Amino acid sequence: MDDDETASQPTVRSYAFAVVPTLALTAGIPFANRVEPHIFGLPFLLAYIVLWIVATPLFMFAALRAMRIRG
Amino acid sequence: MGDPRIALGIVAAVVLATLAAATFSMRSIKMDAQQFTVGGRSFGSLLLWILLAGEIYTSFTFLGAAGWAYGKGAPAFYILCYGTIAYAISFFLVPEIWRVGRAKNLVTSADFFVAQYGSKALGGLVAFIGFVFLVPYVTLQLSGIALLLRIAGYGSIDATAAVGIAFAAITGFTYFGGLHATARASVVKDLLVIVAVIFAGIVLPIHFFGSPANVITRVLAQKPDWMTIGPATAPNGTIWFVSTVALTAMGFFMFPQSFAAAFSAKSPRAIRNNAIFLPFYQLLLLLVYFAGFTALLVVPGLKGPDADQSFMLVVQKYYPSWVLGFVAAAGTLAGLIPASGQILGAASLIAKNILVDYNIVRGDRAQTVATRVLVIVVAALAFGFWAIARTSLVGLLLIAYSGISQFFPGVVLSFSPRLKPHPIAVATGLIVGIAVLAAYAGTGAKTPFGLNSGMVALACNTVSLFVVDAFARRRVLRELVA
Repeated sequence: MDDDETASQPTVRSYAFAVVPTLALTAGIPFANRVEPHIFGLPFLLAYIVLWIVATPLFMFAALRAMRIRG
Repeated sequence: MGDPRIALGIVAAVVLATLAAATFSMRSIKMDAQQFTVGGRSFGSLLLWILLAGEIYTSFTFLGAAGWAYGKGAPAFYILCYGTIAYAISFFLVPEIWRVGRAKNLVTSADFFVAQYGSKALGGLVAFIGFVFLVPYVTLQLSGIALLLRIAGYGSIDATAAVGIAFAAITGFTYFGGLHATARASVVKDLLVIVAVIFAGIVLPIHFFGSPANVITRVLAQKPDWMTIGPATAPNGTIWFVSTVALTAMGFFMFPQSFAAAFSAKSPRAIRNNAIFLPFYQLLLLLVYFAGFTALLVVPGLKGPDADQSFMLVVQKYYPSWVLGFVAAAGTLAGLIPASGQILGAASLIAKNILVDYNIVRGDRAQTVATRVLVIVVAALAFGFWAIARTSLVGLLLIAYSGISQFFPGVVLSFSPRLKPHPIAVATGLIVGIAVLAAYAGTGAKTPFGLNSGMVALACNTVSLFVVDAFARRRVLRELVA
């Protein structure tokens, strides 16, 4: 029941990885608020959001790898 | 014109079969209060995924997101953003909540406040606020289901009758099933919703315009500003957009049913796995937007809350009754199942943190009975709220979020050894936040810079929390010295 995850804890690096997509999808939005260029048929703003959504799991996986064993 | 008997018959058959299968599959589980509300803390990654994802794909996603894409355009994209950020936050926050829940055997979100701050009164306040702001969320599901039933009935069912049927279905399911049935029924629901969303978001655009990309081009030709957010301080402009994303991302895991989902997890690993992969699931929303945009071109002219019908009207007008029946059935389950989780969350708050904690009700058996009675009360209140507040589905969701997000500072700060505030400070912050919300709702005043009013309330909440905490600390110190 108590797998090793129970004992591990996020590090500053874990938080840093998570902050990147968070800022991209909040503070970054006004800078991506354009129609052109279209990417994969999507207007730029929507494409920007979709690409960050696809990238977020990668960042969160990196955050997981950056955790350390609590002790 | 289609045949309402075929469409409604399919809706009824699919819904009943799903609910019967879910209820039947858990006959062997002995129901006590813990099983009923947190599923005996036994849910691994997969079931937890389904439960959490099930909470995401609600009537709101199915109809509301399309409705906003239809009625407002790019502001609807906020939904894609906030979910993603909420999962990133949950990666860190939810395992901590889970840990407290496991150590102290917690059941509700208010229990968490009691455990962290040692104040039963704060728990009661949290329970009350959580309960009040879940009502509009349940109303959202009710309205969504009613809308689907009306469309599937080709106008043969009137609005009140439709809501009445939806109310009966929701109450019955929640009353008999509890959280186990909710999680199990979610499996079937998600599959049906995925098929329906692919149909609405890919098949419809291809049928009418050749491809989703063509739909976008045509919308832009008619409305060049539809795919971008308005100027900074405009209504639904960029400042509104960013503040709404931030607010709702913080609120996402503050809902009572999210705490229940967190407590139902088997381990932090199950929670983190979900946090990492759930953003992919968000991408289905893209198809929902395509469906909304297609509807904008095919059936233009819907105003206000009517925009929520968007692509369902296209299906009703151009497809056979059985297709409409299956799409409406998927949508109905997408309303019923999350509603059941939400009702359960609200009911157990009052049952546990007011009735049991204040000794109005004693014993596990009585608590289960009280929770079940409250299930009916919540659903009835949601019905009442539907009758007085006619607003779009997204509008209802934002009301719920603006209230629930007020819990965020109290939850996060409770983990900080240095900043952990006095319970009176947390309570004051909550009351100030809710008062600010009520003032905006009551007066209809404009917020500074077009900010989301929930964000203004959250700021006032946090500031008063720290101010009161500073005073409380000094007094405690003085008493220690004296």
